[in-house]
Amino acid sequence: MKIRRLLTIAAAALLAVGVFSAAQAGETKGPVTDEIGVVKIPKGAPIFIGGYWTLSGPDTALGLDQKRAVEIAFDDWGNKIAGHPIKFIAEDGQCNAEGGQTAATKLASNQRIVLVIGPDCSSSATPGAPILWKAGIPSVGTSTTAPSLTAPDRKPGYHGYIRTVYNDLAAGAADAEYFYNQLRCRTLATVHDGSPYAEQLVRVAENTFKGLGGSIVAAEAVAPTDVDMRPLLTGIATTKPCVIYFPVFVAAAAQIARQAPEISGLENTHIVGGSALMAPGFLEAAGDAAVGFVFTNPDTSTDAFGKRYPEFVEKYKKKFGEAPVQAFHANAYDGAVVALMAIEKVAVTDDKGNTYIGRKALRDALFATEAFDGIGGAIKCNEHGDCAAFKFAVYEFTNGDPSTFKIGTNPKKIFP
Amino acid sequence: MTAEAARQGAAARPKRRFRITYVDVILWSLRLLILVVVVGGTIGTLIKGRYTIEHWFDFVMFGLTMGGIYALIALGYTMVYGILRLINFAHGDITMTGAFSAFFLARHLDRTGLLDAYPLLSMLAITALAMVVCSVIALAVERICYRPFRHVVTLAPLICAIGASFFLQHSFRGLFGSTIRSYPDPEWLKGKIDIAGFGIPLVQPMVIGTALTAMLLLYLIVQKTKMGTAMRAVSEDRDAAALMGIDVNKVITFTFILGGCMAGIGGVLYAMVYKQVYFFMGFLPGIKAFSAAVLGGIGNIPGAMVGGFFLGIVESVGPALFLDGIGITAPYQLRDLIAFIMLIMVLIFRPQGILGERLAAKRA
Repeated sequence: MKIRRLLTIAAAALLAVGVFSAAQAGETKGPVTDEIGVVKIPKGAPIFIGGYWTLSGPDTALGLDQKRAVEIAFDDWGNKIAGHPIKFIAEDGQCNAEGGQTAATKLASNQRIVLVIGPDCSSSATPGAPILWKAGIPSVGTSTTAPSLTAPDRKPGYHGYIRTVYNDLAAGAADAEYFYNQLRCRTLATVHDGSPYAEQLVRVAENTFKGLGGSIVAAEAVAPTDVDMRPLLTGIATTKPCVIYFPVFVAAAAQIARQAPEISGLENTHIVGGSALMAPGFLEAAGDAAVGFVFTNPDTSTDAFGKRYPEFVEKYKKKFGEAPVQAFHANAYDGAVVALMAIEKVAVTDDKGNTYIGRKALRDALFATEAFDGIGGAIKCNEHGDCAAFKFAVYEFTNGDPSTFKIGTNPKKIFP
Repeated sequence: MTAEAARQGAAARPKRRFRITYVDVILWSLRLLILVVVVGGTIGTLIKGRYTIEHWFDFVMFGLTMGGIYALIALGYTMVYGILRLINFAHGDITMTGAFSAFFLARHLDRTGLLDAYPLLSMLAITALAMVVCSVIALAVERICYRPFRHVVTLAPLICAIGASFFLQHSFRGLFGSTIRSYPDPEWLKGKIDIAGFGIPLVQPMVIGTALTAMLLLYLIVQKTKMGTAMRAVSEDRDAAALMGIDVNKVITFTFILGGCMAGIGGVLYAMVYKQVYFFMGFLPGIKAFSAAVLGGIGNIPGAMVGGFFLGIVESVGPALFLDGIGITAPYQLRDLIAFIMLIMVLIFRPQGILGERLAAKRA
């Protein structure tokens, strides 16, 4: 018995040493040696690129818009990279942790995937990005704005993650400044839905608002699937806030938008939503209650974006038969371009036509992306993986019919 | 073991009156904790004085509105349980199917202007459609999922019920997509009404009134008609009822139709209050209504009604009354917690529910 246990321990120790030394030595395939591993793409075989966004549920437009933008980026590169065709595999991240985990696990199990673009929701990225990076696959977030994902003290699992979208540290601060300086509000009530995006965003907004001299009269939370907002709003109404800020997703936000006008005490309160609501799905869920509804969002007007943005919109319309359906397509396009440039940079092709991509090298190339003029603005990655800047705007819906959704007119920009 | 044998066994054992087990300690601490939270929270909230009498009135009205809907759905659970001893977990989703189907009619009536021109007729048509769809689907679920297992004493019917629930959800997702759709919001529903000096949205008294009327009708059907008497007989003792010449299959079919009708009305009222339909919308109200049925005493029809209203009110008033006072921030997100703690408490301390199951003799 004792001998068997000793043997087990010895075997485990040997295995651990083996794994450790393997990790140290890295892997060599063809001409490339890489700390984490090397993907070999035989001549003529495709290079696999993964993606995961919200492709079902009330927030579908958020993910679909970005997936489409990535496809346009691939088209612009002739669907080829480093001499190989691109094979794109998109999964559904569902805008929640379970979906992100499932999608990332599926993608991570496919070792031919060199890189993943997405996701769109911080709640999917929070479990998803570490799963991918553990498998040696770096990922490029395209509308995941939660500060924790690129915080300097983040866990090593996020070291393979960059994002071509702004950080909510900037967005939350801009929101608070708008409430304080433009709406001239001194009292703020916030509602989040427990998602990393909403919770971290309202915390930043609250802190900035307090810093400016305002006070937070209520900090509430709902579940993303809650339908009865009346008790919550009644409770908030007792504190008489000047503005209620709730950067939550379509389902819960539509209920708040519908029920707030029925609550006595909120007649003079500004009801302000967040950037997840720039979608036809919001009109579908809120109906006529959406008319006059205001939300803060990154500026998606042509003058705020890069010079090549109008050209992109034309391609989008031609390929999908409608104008962009959400706010983050430009970030997704830029994410895809950053990814393709990084692959191009590290891919080594031998004389037989086989291509080799080092996983660590690819990650480093992504982080080293600098000074590139994206269609959503300038892209430059810092050492924590933040690559894009934030431009603040406020939008208002003008019609409750989902078929009238068109960024620029419904919703129309009301600030700046 | 029969009840008689159990009693004899208890008598034969030596009396251990003063022995306290750790289970007792835990259970009593649990009661004490809940009591402290409820009493302490209430006192705290009242001292803080954040809410005026108007707010409390609002909360109670929200609670009654939701409670009426829970009660209507709970009736389906309780009737089926009374007759088949089966928890029909697909019932919440049957409610969804009615509300979802009626949505298409409601949208059509809204677009053609009929909903605003003939409110009563339109609402009757919408509700009737929901009732028919719910009844048909409830019958199909009974025929396909429950009848083959009727004489099988295993977990199979329960598992089949859960399977049916998923099947309904995902077939509606497949058929109509996963987006949230907005129920029409006609002008006549938007007004406020003055009750005892408090202005409340018109939709609330309408929902409560409709729910009460539907429940009264159901009660009359069960108590005063021949079929209702047969239902009660089958619920007392299925075999004896069959021996007395009652067609048990017919009674079960009738029960599912009644449950389906109540679910149809509940679904439409739910959609009138929240103005959204979604393939997953039946799940949570279903579970809550199940809690309401257990709370009132599952198998007991007035119990389901009382349980529904009670759950609705506690859920609506509870966060402000109990949790705000003990300094919990964002108490509303704990609303479901209150509902489900109540379910657990009832299961532990009073499994027969508030009213208990009314049977001539308790079954073993």
